[in-house]
Amino acid sequence: MSRSELSNAVSFSQEHQPRKERFHFSPYAFVLPCALFSAALLLYPVVNSLALSFRQATVDTFVSGEMPFNGLTQYQAAVADPVFWRAVINTVLFTAFSIVFQFVIGFLLALLFQFKFPLKSVCLSLLLIPWLLPLLTSANIFKGLFNEAGLINQLLHLIGGRPIPWLADQHFALPATIVANIWIGFPFNFVLLYAGMQNIPEEVYEAAKLDGADYWRRVTQITVPLLKPVALSVLMLGTVYTVKVFDLVWIMTGGGPANSTHLLSTYAYQVGFSILNFGEAAAIATLMVLLLLVLNLFRLLMQQR
Amino acid sequence: MKTNSTELSYLARKERVTKPRRDHLVLLALATFNLGIISVSAETTVEVVHYFNVEGQLQELAQIQKDFEQANSDIKIKYTYVPFGELVSRTLQMAAVHKAPAIAVIDNPDVLRVAKSNILKDISQEVTKLPIWNDLYPGPKKAVTSDGKAYGVPVGSNSLALYYNKKMLSAAGVQPPNTWQQLSDVATKTAQSPVYGIAFSAVNTEESTWQWEPFLWSNGGSLRDLTSTSAVGALQLWVDLVSKGLASKDVLNWEQGDVANQFTAGRAATMVMGPWMLDAVKKSGIDFGIVPVPVPKEGAKPVVPLGGECWCVLKGNSQVEAAAMKFVAFTEQPDRLRKICDAFNYISSVQSVAKQQGESNPELNPFVEQMDAAKARSEDGGAKYPEISLATRAAIQRAISGQGSAEEALQESAAKIKAILSKN
Repeated sequence: MSRSELSNAVSFSQEHQPRKERFHFSPYAFVLPCALFSAALLLYPVVNSLALSFRQATVDTFVSGEMPFNGLTQYQAAVADPVFWRAVINTVLFTAFSIVFQFVIGFLLALLFQFKFPLKSVCLSLLLIPWLLPLLTSANIFKGLFNEAGLINQLLHLIGGRPIPWLADQHFALPATIVANIWIGFPFNFVLLYAGMQNIPEEVYEAAKLDGADYWRRVTQITVPLLKPVALSVLMLGTVYTVKVFDLVWIMTGGGPANSTHLLSTYAYQVGFSILNFGEAAAIATLMVLLLLVLNLFRLLMQQR
Repeated sequence: MKTNSTELSYLARKERVTKPRRDHLVLLALATFNLGIISVSAETTVEVVHYFNVEGQLQELAQIQKDFEQANSDIKIKYTYVPFGELVSRTLQMAAVHKAPAIAVIDNPDVLRVAKSNILKDISQEVTKLPIWNDLYPGPKKAVTSDGKAYGVPVGSNSLALYYNKKMLSAAGVQPPNTWQQLSDVATKTAQSPVYGIAFSAVNTEESTWQWEPFLWSNGGSLRDLTSTSAVGALQLWVDLVSKGLASKDVLNWEQGDVANQFTAGRAATMVMGPWMLDAVKKSGIDFGIVPVPVPKEGAKPVVPLGGECWCVLKGNSQVEAAAMKFVAFTEQPDRLRKICDAFNYISSVQSVAKQQGESNPELNPFVEQMDAAKARSEDGGAKYPEISLATRAAIQRAISGQGSAEEALQESAAKIKAILSKN
């Protein structure tokens, strides 16, 4: 094709097919329901809650709707309370321990389920039970297990230990709720990691085997790096789920004894719905979202490394 | 903003007077035509927001509705169930968007706090005309009145007393306790692993403050000043019971339902409990008795906190308000009230009715006897009671879990309460 021919072709196409892209409606139409849904059910409440956190919203001012703007007063009141800081530390500890153990247990189980063994599919479904049980049920079961006369203390007694008032002692109550949460959350990690491992092509392992790599070498040098994208998603989702845990702790301890197990979520609920200080509760919730953002930034940094 | 909200409220009011459905209208027209009377009928709907969810309570509510609607054909009752913990916030929300219910059945310590938000109608004009009004016990009346205004009428009351397991006490050779000393004595002699001498609730909710109040108040203390020796003494009693192993350390996590379970399972010789558990305890087959809450010294009067709900009429248009008031007055007729209180396991807030209940049901007598001196929880702090209660239970939990002595824990909470009280 000569130069003139080419320019002819270009001008031809310009004439008959205008360069300007036509507006395509359909992609937007597909996105629209989701956008509307998010705006109405996610964006609006978040913005509203943020606005509320700068207003004096208590019983006296809520109904009349006046709710005077008072800047950072709510935030100052929130951070001035030692219970708030206890809740922050608890939330971080609760999340960190839960995630680490859930992930490690889930990962090891996923490795195990790469092998073939009898009753594998039965075991697979059994392992999902913690994730499928209503939280109300699991929380109450754990409340019973950690009871002074509960199963755990009975086992302790059998091996000659002294009973521990798990949920009634400020040192043991938080670890007890963490154990419960690990139990509830590990199947989620397990299933996603298991699926991720299934997606790693068999050939890679075979090639490694031919090169003489033993099992642990294959795990550390093939499974782990190839699983990284899945693992990071699992960790991110897990973190979000764990930071906002509410019902488990609320049922097991109600934030007690002596506020030693309050998470930001239970604390915000207490301030909002026991004292009806909506403004301060909104401020605590906002700070909780900030904490989530910080944790996610940390994760992003890890991902880039 | 202002016009907008008045417009909205106008719309809401208009909406609340619902018109009868068209087919009803036709029937009505035919009926009136036949009788040769032309009447204009507009039905008024009275929405009642409540958290009752026990079968007997629901049956009784349905019965009231049936009887009331029969007597007042122009008024329809509509019940809206809301979970206990959400009743106040939900009512506030409904009022904030001008869709307030006609009646909210509010827990008595919350009435004055809700009244402060200016959504409750002052019904003092109407209630003082009710025959039962002057027969109310002083406690329940105080829970709904402030500065000469009345914001509700008690449906019924409940409070706390001491249940005891007859077999366990007689096996230990002790009598049901009247004083703290006797209580410790009974607990010591009946506690024998795995049975504890006493069960109560010190959980991180209102239930722990409520269960501790009989001890605090009978000792002459007040939530307004937790540094007093009477407050320290009352908390020390609980701390000692737990630290000596006479009560389980799990009281810190027991809600009142758990406490009753311990008692009915035979793992506690006594428990602090209210009349609402009577049926469950009877059903368990345990041979039990009830005595008033033990007092610090012989001769002292037990002062128990009042539980129970109140009918509160919300501000709305005058027609709905009048219909709501009619409904409240209907439920407060002595015969009807007696039925309601029996079905709800209440002790009536009306003296004559409560005495009848005690006569036909002698187990209730300790509760009835305590009613004279029973105190509304909002007497300690008015609209600020919930915040004060929160600070108080922090001290209870700290002291029992051993994070400081009773005195230290109370001092810290007392400082918080002082700050709460000095806020306007």
